[in-house]
Amino acid sequence: MSPVLEVADLSKAYGDVTAVDHVSLSVDEGALFGLLGPNGSGKTTMIKVLTGQIRPTGGSARVLGLDVEREGLKVRERVGIIPEQESPPSFLTAMEYLEFVGAVRKLQDIGEKAEYWFDLLEFGDKKHVLCKDLSRGTRQKLMFAQAFIHEPVLALIDEPLINFDPVMQDVVKGYLSEYVRKGKTIFLSTHILEVAEEICSSFAILHSGKLLHAGPVADLTARGTHLPEFFLSLVRKDHHA
Amino acid sequence: MPELFMRMMKEEWRLHSTMFGQISFALFPVMIFGIVFMGSFLLPLMHSALPLGNITLITHAMFLVLGIMVGGFGLLGNEMMNRRFGQASFLAYSARSLPLSERFIFANFVIKDTVYYFFLWVLPFGAGYIAAAPFTETPLQRAFLLLLTLSLSFMAGLCTVFLLSSLYVRSKLALVLLGAAVGAGFFAIFLATGINPALYFPPYLLYHSFSLPGLIASCAVLAGLFIISVILFSPEQTGRTATHKDLFLPVQKRLAGLPNPPLVAKDFVDLHRSGIGIGQTLFSFVAPLIVIWFFLSLVRSYLPPHGLLFLFAMISGVIASTIYTWVTEFDNFSHYSCLPVAVSTLIGSKMTTFAILQVIPAVFISLAAAFSGEAALILPAVVLCISFSFYAAGVMAFLCGLSPSVLVYDVKVLFTYLVLDGLVFAVFSALAFANPWYALASLLLFIPALLMVKAAKRRWDTVDPTGF
Ligand SMILES: Nc1ncnc2c1ncn2[C@@H]1O[C@H](COP(=O)(O)OP(=O)(O)OP(=O)(O)O)[C@@H](O)[C@H]1O
Ligand SMILES: [Mg+2]
Repeated sequence: MSPVLEVADLSKAYGDVTAVDHVSLSVDEGALFGLLGPNGSGKTTMIKVLTGQIRPTGGSARVLGLDVEREGLKVRERVGIIPEQESPPSFLTAMEYLEFVGAVRKLQDIGEKAEYWFDLLEFGDKKHVLCKDLSRGTRQKLMFAQAFIHEPVLALIDEPLINFDPVMQDVVKGYLSEYVRKGKTIFLSTHILEVAEEICSSFAILHSGKLLHAGPVADLTARGTHLPEFFLSLVRKDHHA
Repeated sequence: MPELFMRMMKEEWRLHSTMFGQISFALFPVMIFGIVFMGSFLLPLMHSALPLGNITLITHAMFLVLGIMVGGFGLLGNEMMNRRFGQASFLAYSARSLPLSERFIFANFVIKDTVYYFFLWVLPFGAGYIAAAPFTETPLQRAFLLLLTLSLSFMAGLCTVFLLSSLYVRSKLALVLLGAAVGAGFFAIFLATGINPALYFPPYLLYHSFSLPGLIASCAVLAGLFIISVILFSPEQTGRTATHKDLFLPVQKRLAGLPNPPLVAKDFVDLHRSGIGIGQTLFSFVAPLIVIWFFLSLVRSYLPPHGLLFLFAMISGVIASTIYTWVTEFDNFSHYSCLPVAVSTLIGSKMTTFAILQVIPAVFISLAAAFSGEAALILPAVVLCISFSFYAAGVMAFLCGLSPSVLVYDVKVLFTYLVLDGLVFAVFSALAFANPWYALASLLLFIPALLMVKAAKRRWDTVDPTGF
C-alpha cells in the first residue's frame, strides 16, 4: 500500500509558540488513522497545515502526492475536511449550505446527495432552518455532511464526534469504518480514546507539538495494554521528562 | 460597571494591536496629532480660499460624520465580528452568561466606543491644534474650546446612530417616520429662515458663541439621546427557528454570467437575511452622506459652478469604496477554509459583490444630481463617483487583502492609502472643476484598479489568512 499522506520533519510556529515540532509520519491508503494528544498539543494545527489552510514553518508534507504548501488548493479540492469549530455560514439554511458546498466543489445532483445526508444523520426536519439557529450537534452533522458529500479519497476530520449523542456517534463510527473498507482513508483527530481504539487501524500521539508515538493499534494488544492506559502513561511520562 | 467597561476597552485595544503590532497601532493617534499640528500652520493659507467660519464648520461636520461611522461600525461591526469569530469570543456577547442585563452590557459597549475612539481620534486632533496654538497665534481658550465642541460633534454622531439603530431593531416604521419628521423639520427651518439648518448644529454654534447654558443644554441632549437609545435597546431575538425558502440556488442562477457565482450568491443571501445590507446602507452610507451634503452646500459659493455636485461625487466615491470593507467583514474565512477556495478567489468574489453593490452609490448620486437641479450632469457625476470608488477599493484590497477595516489603523498602510487616494482625488476634482464633462476621464481609473486587484490576489495568497 502506498502512503496517501507523508509528513517529513514538519514544524509550525505561531510567533514564538511552536505548535507542531519536527513531526514525521506517514499514513497508508485505506487506513483509519487517529491523531491523539492532550489539549493544545497541535492536532488542529497539523490538520490545517496538511490541508494547506496555513503554511508550515519547517519541513514538508505531501497529501495525495501534492505538496501542501504549494498545492494547498488542489489538496482541498480532493480531500474532505471537518474543521475544529463547526461554523457553517449563519444566514444560509442547512440545505443552502450543502448547495453552496456542492456549487463550489462543482458537484452534480447536489439535491440528491444532500437528501442522502439528511436521511443518514437524521436532520431532514432542519433542512430549511438557518445555520445560526441550529443546535450545536446539528451544525456538526452539517459539517460532517459537507466533508463527505463529494466522497473524497481522503478525509481529515477534527474531533467529529464530540457534539454527537450516543446514537449518532454510533452511526458515524459505522460510517467511518465502512468508508475505509471501500479503500478510502480517514485522518481523524479525537480525544475519545475508546472510540479511537475501536475504529482506528493506526494512531499517533502528539504532546506539545512533538510526536511521542506512532504505530498500528494492533500492536497495543501485543503489548498487553489498551489505548487509554497507553496514552495516559506515555503523556504523563513525557510531562515529567 | 468599571470592571466590564475596562475589560471591553482592553479587548478593543488588543483586537487592534494584535492585528498589526502595538507600536504601529499606538502610532495612529500620534499621526493624527502630527497631521493636525502641521495642518494648523497651513490655516492662514486656507483662510484665503475659505473663511475661517467655514473651515471650523467643516471640521465639526467631519467629527459628526466620524461619530456616525464609528457608531455604525461599532454596532454592525460587532454583529459582524460575532459572525467572524463565532458566538462567544467578544465580551459584548460572552458577558451574557454573567448576571448582567443586556441593557447594561449595551450601555457599557456604547460608552466604551465613545471613550475608546475619543482617545484614538478626537483627542489627538484637538491636542494637535492646541499644541500649534502658541505658534499660530490662536488664543489658547479657542483651541481648548474647539476640542470640547469637536468632542460634542463626535458624540452627537455616535449617540444619533445608537438611537437610530435601537429604533431600527424595534420598528423600521418608527425609524422612517422619525427620519421623515427630522427631514421635514429641516426643510421647514430652511423655508422659514432661508438658512441652511446645518448652521444651527449646536456644537458649531457653541464654538462661535460659547455659553455655559448652551453647553449644559448640549450635554443634556446627548445624554437624552443616549438614555433613550439604551431604553429602546432590545436584545437580538433568539429562539425563533423559522424555516426559510431556498434563496441560494435562484440567486446563483441569476449571477451565472459572473465570476464565482456561488460565492457571490452566498454574499447576497447573507446581506439580505442578516439585514446588514440595509443597515449598512443606511448607517455607513446614506446617513453620513446626507450630513456631508448639508455641510458642503454651505461652502457652495466658494466652489466653481457644479463644483458642489462633483466634490460630493468624489466624497461619495470614497465612502462607496468602504462597501468593500463591509462585504469583506461580514463573513469569516473559516467558512471557506475547508473548501477549495483560495484567498485570491475570495478577493475576486468580494470584488464582484462590491461591484454589484455600486448600484447604491450610483442611484444615490443620480438622486443628488436630480434634486439639486443638475440632472444634465448625472452621467459624469456617477462615472466619477463609481470610478473613484473602484480605484479606492482596489488600493484597499492591495494594501489590506480581506481585512481592510482593522488594517486601516496600521499607520503605514493608512498613509499609503491616503497618499494614493489623495493624489487621484486632487487630480480628478481639479479636472471636474475645470469642466464637468472632463470627469468622464476618471474611467481611466479602472485600469489601476484592476491592476491592483490582480496584485492583491498575488500578494495575499502567500500569507496565512488572518484569524488562523
Ligand atoms: N492562530 C494561532 N495563533 C497562535 N497560537 C496558536 C494559534 N492556533 C493554535 N495556537 C497554539 O498552538 C498550540 C497547538 O494548538 P492546536 O489548536 O493545534 O491544539 P489541539 O491539539 O488541536 O488542541 P485541542 O485538543 O484543545 O483542540 C497551542 O499552544 C495553541 O495555543
Ligand atoms: Mg484542536
